[in-house]
Amino acid sequence: MVNGYSVSSLAEALEIRSSHSVVPYAGGTDLMVENRKGVEYLFLGKIPELRNITEDDEYIRIGAAVTFTQALEDKKVPDLMKEALKRIAAPAIRNAGTFGGNLGNGSAKADSVLIEFVSDAKLRLASRDKERIVDVDKFYLGRKKLDLGEDELILEVLLPKTGLDRYSYEKVGGRNALAISRVSFAGIFDEKDGRITKLAAAFGAVADTVLRYKDLEETMLGKTIEEARELKEKYLESYAERMVLTQGRVSAEYRKNVCMNLLGSFLAKFGI
Amino acid sequence: MSDINFRLNGREVSYSGSAADRLLDVLRNTYLCTSVKCGCKEGECGACSVLIDGVLFNSCCVAMGAIEGAEVVTMEGFRETRRFEVLDRAFGELSAVQCGFCIPGMVLAAEALLSQNPQPTEEEIREGLSGNLCRCTGYNAIVNAVGLAAKEGKGLW
Repeated sequence: MVNGYSVSSLAEALEIRSSHSVVPYAGGTDLMVENRKGVEYLFLGKIPELRNITEDDEYIRIGAAVTFTQALEDKKVPDLMKEALKRIAAPAIRNAGTFGGNLGNGSAKADSVLIEFVSDAKLRLASRDKERIVDVDKFYLGRKKLDLGEDELILEVLLPKTGLDRYSYEKVGGRNALAISRVSFAGIFDEKDGRITKLAAAFGAVADTVLRYKDLEETMLGKTIEEARELKEKYLESYAERMVLTQGRVSAEYRKNVCMNLLGSFLAKFGI
Repeated sequence: MSDINFRLNGREVSYSGSAADRLLDVLRNTYLCTSVKCGCKEGECGACSVLIDGVLFNSCCVAMGAIEGAEVVTMEGFRETRRFEVLDRAFGELSAVQCGFCIPGMVLAAEALLSQNPQPTEEEIREGLSGNLCRCTGYNAIVNAVGLAAKEGKGLW
């Protein structure tokens, strides 16, 4: 075809990616809006390895060309991810939009990416000659800047299978359907023998990348709920100091207020 | 360079243009399927909705290279079906059409919904049509019409 490559195997795709300057195309929902001139697309939608959702002992493995609709219908995909997916746009976009595309577009507004951040997901990337696994937060280097070589493709998202059951998810948008996140929040809590073992909080759409402060989270680990409650005010202050938010269509001040409120209600939901 | 081959409303066609072209533009300009409306080119309005292998897509967000080997259905093809007749009658009966610009997309969204879920609740209908905007704001009549079609067309979906 003219200005594009349609491939049906991963090996073929990686070969073309290594020898031509191509833009990987999975669902097209972001690329076609961008409508870059003079680009050649590498169409990935027909590669079986990228369209599967599988699991191993540790991870749910979601192929880069799996659509949001497909993931919503799959029992293996955790509820926390589904909460985010079902609020993405509308059916026709969810039928097209993919996990790989949401990542590759590089936006901090990507709703599936927020969940990947909060759950410590990993990404499997490959070029013709080598394969590597990278933590999702290391994959994002800055606004629209990704740790992805010119010859590499995103193959799959590795989502941890356990520890995602107690969560909060909130998306603030201008309307119910077809809304781009103005602020999005996901938090995961876990405890063992009365002590906090996980208190992850991620904020989307408010800065160049999804924000998460693991060092702040750590200050709460090992604490009882009561101890955490006493530390809450100071904890929230540390977040407020740390968060420098970008001015977008809505003001940075508004965004920060919303972030702090969402963090506060997440803590409250689990008794903190 | 080989052409992009696909089926359009039951007919085999070959497209020799760029794989990066928008399906929306090609449907309207090359194949003269003018039921496919251009509202936003951002995937936000649903006026360009089409069915690809029976699944609803915004054709503004689909590049031609992605539909190689697929079956594309627009209103020009769908209007030849019994299901269309039922939807057409229901939309007419409840005066669900005002300016008409969103209607081809609405009807194809309804078809996509009913083929997955033949007896949807009102909430499910609203969710199924949530990607289709009607700037005349005639939503209630449209939702009711889809509900009526589901009832009248029992067994068709």
